[in-house]
Amino acid sequence: MAKRICICFISLFLLLGSRAVSQDTVTVPLHLRAGFDLSGPVLLLVGNDLTSYGILASADINSALTVNAGLRYSTFHSTKYNFDFTSRGMSIVAGTDYNFIKANVSAGKHYAGIGLRYGLSFYSEEAPVIRYNNEWGAGESSLPLSRHVGHFLELTPGVRTELFPGVTIGWNLYMRLLISAGAGKDLKPVWMPGYGAGTRGMSTGAEYYVSFSIPYRKIKVVIKPKQVDTEGEDEEEDGSTETGTLTTGSGRRL
Amino acid sequence: MKRPRSIFTLTAVASLVLSMASCSVQPCYEETDPSMNVFLLTSGTGETAEADSLRVIGISPTDTIEFVDSRKSASFSVTLDPSADQSVFFITLNGISDTAVIRYTREPHLISPECGYTFISIITGLMTTHNIIDTLMIENNSVNLNGEKNLHLFY
Repeated sequence: MAKRICICFISLFLLLGSRAVSQDTVTVPLHLRAGFDLSGPVLLLVGNDLTSYGILASADINSALTVNAGLRYSTFHSTKYNFDFTSRGMSIVAGTDYNFIKANVSAGKHYAGIGLRYGLSFYSEEAPVIRYNNEWGAGESSLPLSRHVGHFLELTPGVRTELFPGVTIGWNLYMRLLISAGAGKDLKPVWMPGYGAGTRGMSTGAEYYVSFSIPYRKIKVVIKPKQVDTEGEDEEEDGSTETGTLTTGSGRRL
Repeated sequence: MKRPRSIFTLTAVASLVLSMASCSVQPCYEETDPSMNVFLLTSGTGETAEADSLRVIGISPTDTIEFVDSRKSASFSVTLDPSADQSVFFITLNGISDTAVIRYTREPHLISPECGYTFISIITGLMTTHNIIDTLMIENNSVNLNGEKNLHLFY
């Protein structure tokens, strides 16, 4: 008899336990996204030397991680007092984004995180006119068209949110670290398509993406309840003490 | 919901600031003409020699260019003709003149997007008369913007 009561209590306990977990489970849709960069056309409107069109596709692999790949076509033309320079090419980036917003807050709609991408730039450069003027006199020369492959790393902290169902808009800052411009130390490109000024080890800027998204799968994410101890010995350094025994929605992603 | 929105706004502002900063135009503050640096040494001992008077003139097909006219000099710097593969210099040391011909190849070099291109030269050969100059030796054949020692002139 005692054994049966014991089994009954254990079963009830397990049942209660499973109900508690199911209350802290959120269903998050995973999306496929395809978008384009608005910053390139906008900069072109304000008379920039750079023409740049970028597209980016991404797929959520879970509530926090997204894999992405992007393609960008850029042309750059600059005329200065002592040289004309043109470069054009295609760059490819691929990497992952990590969303810092918890699954129960982001709900598959919001993103605030950081991405790490590797980029390859296939480009050509030329300087049709190089003017010089020194003690020997003035003259002109040129740098013939040459093709190169450069590569770089890209850190992209950014945010993205769902504007309305199926459409998201997002800002990305980018910090690109040049690994190699692929053109040697003397002929670093004034502008390396997909990267920026080829003479600088780091390039910064921003991209503004509008993306179309479709949910392709739904996953359940368990939000683990967090037990907060109310004893005085757990008082934080600033003197504040957390109260309450059980918080939901502040747990970590599983 | 407020947190994602505030992050979104902050990032948008930071993005704009960074974009504007990356578009700003900078002036050129760098040296743009590579110089060939020649050091005077005493023939035999190899010690630094200070000439009582030194005059260096470049000879172009159409003109002459005075590069140096000084007293008490132990070195001098001259630019090479960027339009030709050789430069001719008339060097007068303590009143005695020699002619030196410097042969080189030229390669374009990007200084910076602000300053544009210059031409660095790789010295491939030297010829000199020997009225006062004993030997003209290549120490470093790259005439670039680093200010390195290029030639040793023994007299």
